[in-house]
Amino acid sequence: MEESSKRSEQRKEMEKERKKGEKKRRKEEEEEEEEILIFNHKSAEKEKEDEDLSDSEDSVFSGLEDSGSDSEDDDDDDEDLKVDQNLSQQVKKEEEEDVQSSLKKKDEEEEVKRDEYEHDSSDEEDIRNTVGNIPMEWYKDFPHIGYDLDGKKIYKPIRNKDELDDFLDKMENPDYWRTVQDKQTGSDVVLSDEQVELVKRLQRGQFGDVNFNEYQPQVEFFTQEVMLHPVTNRPADKRSFIPSLLEKDKVSKLVHAIKMGWIKPRRDSRDDSRGRYYDLWASEDTSNLARHRMHLPAPKIPLPGHHESYNPPPEYLFTDEERALWEQQDPVDRKFPFVPRSFSSLRLVPAFPRFIHERFERCLDLYLCPRQRKMRVNVNPEDLIPKLPKPKDLQPFPTTQSLVYRGHSGLVRSISVSPSGQWLASGSDDGSVRFWEICSSRCLKTVQVGGAVKSVAWNPNPSVCLLAVALDSAVLILSPALADRQVVLSSDRLLSAPQEAEPIEGDGLVNWSDTEGEELNQGIRLKIQHPKAVQQVAWHTKGDYLASVMPDHSSHLQVLIHQVSRRRSQNPFRKNKGLVQSVSFHPIRPYFFVATQRSVRIYNLVKQDLTKKLHANSKWISSMAVHPGGDHVICGSYDCKLSWFDLDLSTKPYRMLRHHRKAVRSVAYHRLYPLFASAADDGSIIVCHGTVYNDLLQNPLIVPVKVLRGHVITHELGVLDVTFHPTQPWIFSSGADATIRLFT
Amino acid sequence: MSQLQARFFTENKKYVVDDVPFSIPAASEVQDLSNVINKLLEAKNASHTTVEFDFLVRGLFLRTQLSSHMETEGISTEDVVEIEYVERLTAPEPEECMMHDDWISSVAADSEWILTGSYDKTARIWSVEGKAVMTVAGHSDVVKDVAWVKRDGLTSLLLTASLDQTLLLWEWNSERNKVKARHCCRGHTGSVDTVATDPTGSKFCSGSWDKMLKIWSAVPTDEADEVEEPGDRPRKKQKTQQLGLTRTPLMTLSGHNEAVSSVLWCDSEEVCSASWDHTIRMWDVETGEMKTTLTGSKVFNCISYSPLCRRLASGSTDRHIRLWDPRTKDGSLVLLSLTSHTGWVTAVKWAPSHEHQLVSGSLDNLVKLWDTRSCKAPLYDLAAHEDKVFCVDWTESGLMLSGGADNKLYTYRSSACQMDVGA
Repeated sequence: MEESSKRSEQRKEMEKERKKGEKKRRKEEEEEEEEILIFNHKSAEKEKEDEDLSDSEDSVFSGLEDSGSDSEDDDDDDEDLKVDQNLSQQVKKEEEEDVQSSLKKKDEEEEVKRDEYEHDSSDEEDIRNTVGNIPMEWYKDFPHIGYDLDGKKIYKPIRNKDELDDFLDKMENPDYWRTVQDKQTGSDVVLSDEQVELVKRLQRGQFGDVNFNEYQPQVEFFTQEVMLHPVTNRPADKRSFIPSLLEKDKVSKLVHAIKMGWIKPRRDSRDDSRGRYYDLWASEDTSNLARHRMHLPAPKIPLPGHHESYNPPPEYLFTDEERALWEQQDPVDRKFPFVPRSFSSLRLVPAFPRFIHERFERCLDLYLCPRQRKMRVNVNPEDLIPKLPKPKDLQPFPTTQSLVYRGHSGLVRSISVSPSGQWLASGSDDGSVRFWEICSSRCLKTVQVGGAVKSVAWNPNPSVCLLAVALDSAVLILSPALADRQVVLSSDRLLSAPQEAEPIEGDGLVNWSDTEGEELNQGIRLKIQHPKAVQQVAWHTKGDYLASVMPDHSSHLQVLIHQVSRRRSQNPFRKNKGLVQSVSFHPIRPYFFVATQRSVRIYNLVKQDLTKKLHANSKWISSMAVHPGGDHVICGSYDCKLSWFDLDLSTKPYRMLRHHRKAVRSVAYHRLYPLFASAADDGSIIVCHGTVYNDLLQNPLIVPVKVLRGHVITHELGVLDVTFHPTQPWIFSSGADATIRLFT
Repeated sequence: MSQLQARFFTENKKYVVDDVPFSIPAASEVQDLSNVINKLLEAKNASHTTVEFDFLVRGLFLRTQLSSHMETEGISTEDVVEIEYVERLTAPEPEECMMHDDWISSVAADSEWILTGSYDKTARIWSVEGKAVMTVAGHSDVVKDVAWVKRDGLTSLLLTASLDQTLLLWEWNSERNKVKARHCCRGHTGSVDTVATDPTGSKFCSGSWDKMLKIWSAVPTDEADEVEEPGDRPRKKQKTQQLGLTRTPLMTLSGHNEAVSSVLWCDSEEVCSASWDHTIRMWDVETGEMKTTLTGSKVFNCISYSPLCRRLASGSTDRHIRLWDPRTKDGSLVLLSLTSHTGWVTAVKWAPSHEHQLVSGSLDNLVKLWDTRSCKAPLYDLAAHEDKVFCVDWTESGLMLSGGADNKLYTYRSSACQMDVGA
């Protein structure tokens, strides 16, 4: 095939040549033909060699076969001849047979060896007997065994030996063991010493030739070293050292064509420099751009992983669920844009259907790659959580519900604890104010005031025992007589103040009146009639001043400050600054806190000006409490927030706590312990630890410590008021479920 | 390891078994051991009737399997275990239920009469059988505590402390069934929450919400003490309120920062008081000085002292009963905490005749009977009350009493208690 194809090519070329140059045509043709002849000759020679080889192989194999079959036949003959012989000799005989056969083989092999070097003996026959290669048993029944070269019968030797003779022969004849029978002639042959030695060597598996050295040193012909003498002694071809005229002619023609400009060098299509396409990012890592601080390298394609493999490990293949998820997901959200698949071999991998798409995406990545570095802060989320002490270390704080004060029939809007910590006053929508003994939850006194009580406040002065109650448009001063006689007397003295003070502030806003009859018996001592509904009352620490709140959008008359001892009232504000939610006195200094809807204003009562305005970031403040130190304020709001203001720090909340789910109704500070609490409509009270440091540099430590639950949510209202015990870390809460609960 | 070598012994002569080691299964529980002892006693004495026993290993009641108990207590199982057995205290049975008109704030009982103070401003005297004998009315406010002073023959002296800041010393003649207020003890400026009589019956001590302790003479006289009247007090009004002769305190002990909730006499010279300021203080009555302070972490509601084991038991608002050794000087050592109540412990009382047993009442409506040798759980829960329990008492005769906000006073008696008393 090769030759023929070559030939056809050459022929084609030849034809071309012929067209081009007519002059030298004859000569070329002759040469070509010569070459063809040479090729043909070569192939013929090769074929011949092959044939020779196969012939010789055949002969060799046939000869071997012949010898094998011969020996077998001999064996059979022997058997037949010795049928009548004694059994006792059988073993011995068999040994002999082995020896004989091996001897025979040896002979043959020696002959083969000799043949290799001297002459071909492939079809030489044993000419002592001319019967040829036939089973000798065919002559079993004849007296002769075959014919010699002259055509005369070869007679079997006379075998008249019986077993006894055999035995005697065996005993007496020293060469008996080396006597074998020649099958071809049927005569006994005594093996020579050399032959016996040869048999023994063969039996041992050694070479037959004594002089053959099986461990002679090997000669390495084909090594990388260039030897002085060639392995083959073939003379080099003539053409290998004579320059080819044909080639020379071709080259000269090409050179001529190039010179003449007929052949133009091919334009390199890849060299498209600065043409249509160029690598946008080619010099990016070396250019000055790379040293620029905001340099953005081209996005790199992630290296393929096991998922992309054509035969990934099974753990990378999708399970059914993963596949379902993959199919369900939006293409943008998928972890991989393909489904990993497994093929037994790379040949079976089909064309990648998304190839174009993926290339396009890559181009988009490069083209639309962000030109601005995204500043990502590497922060451990754990570090963002402030290091707060554990609630366990912040004890004591209320943890469990201890007592439930039952007796009210309406929702309890307000509670207040006496300064001694023995009594609890509560005002309810059922129109009663109740006084409870804290330690036993016993209601010792009930005062019917005839209206829904909005707020109660116990006078913080321990030397008097008075309770301010806000209901409808009146503020009542109650003297519950639950203290020492001295205290009761002193509070009575306070109430029976100079009557002449009244007309001074007689602007008709407020009407102070003593109570009589039934009300007096119940302990109601004073009634301060307001023009509008009063929402809240708050005492000053000294216990003489009382502030009342009348929320109203459109009026500047929202807050009134009463002096109980002189029965005077005054309106401290001339302008309406918003709906007042709650007021409180500063515990130490002459400041007054007013919480409006969005902010808390702090007024200096001495200078009579606004000191500070706190902006609560909430929509509607519901309640306010002032820290006993006076420098901190907490505000609860209806949008579930609790904001802590540090007055020394800022007018913005120092901390916002958003732990409640619903509107915060009430907040409270503890008088002694660093605790504050908030109550909300979700029925929970959250107690927080709030340490305030004297060191101005240290900010307050605020840790929520406990969520207290117990109140039943009724009419969407949970806990309405919350207050701490003055001396113990206990908290009282009143709820819409008409109960008051004590948590300790 | 399935067998243990154990030696049984008991204090009670009636139930002595041979002092030889027995091999008992390690997994045996109280009932198994009780059966073993009963078998042994039957073998010894044919007329023996089965008795339930409780077992103590190194002073602690066995409540689990013997092997696990020894494992938790770290007792070697190689040696012979010394197991003490005592007759099991049977569950105290409610005997009487005495209905009051209002909440019961306090109870004091002796072998014959029961004195209760109530929120209806009266004190009542009952016989032990539950018969109302006498109503002592005179206070203008809730009676917070009551105490017997002395009983000789038919006349008895008794004390009532009230929210109206006074104490009244009454003389009661049980034959004629007449009660007479002998003295009105004035001086406190807050509600008198607790009162205790000294062992000799000559003095008593009161503790009040005004943070003071006052020592008074308990001997009735016919003369009123001098009282400096405040100038503006209307004398007439005072006269009308007066009930019995005015008495002023012998001594005032001040030192507490909060209300005094409970007071008792350790002996005739020493007063012990518990307060809301988280301390228990010991006072020397002779000099009026404070001797030691035991500081806790929660409000103390009640204390009780047992001269038998010389321990103080305190009940506080954190639901624990704590045992203290009042003789320690540093005063902060809690020997043992008994925890099982779920509300404030409002009353504790040691058994007068048993050094290990005490009874406690709590706001969780339960009265519990404790043995200090089994501190993990009470011996019995007495769940008779339907509301808060405010007071408990335990008389010499083994009668337990408890009263509370359900207006009922229950008496309980445990059979084994009687046995102890008898022995």
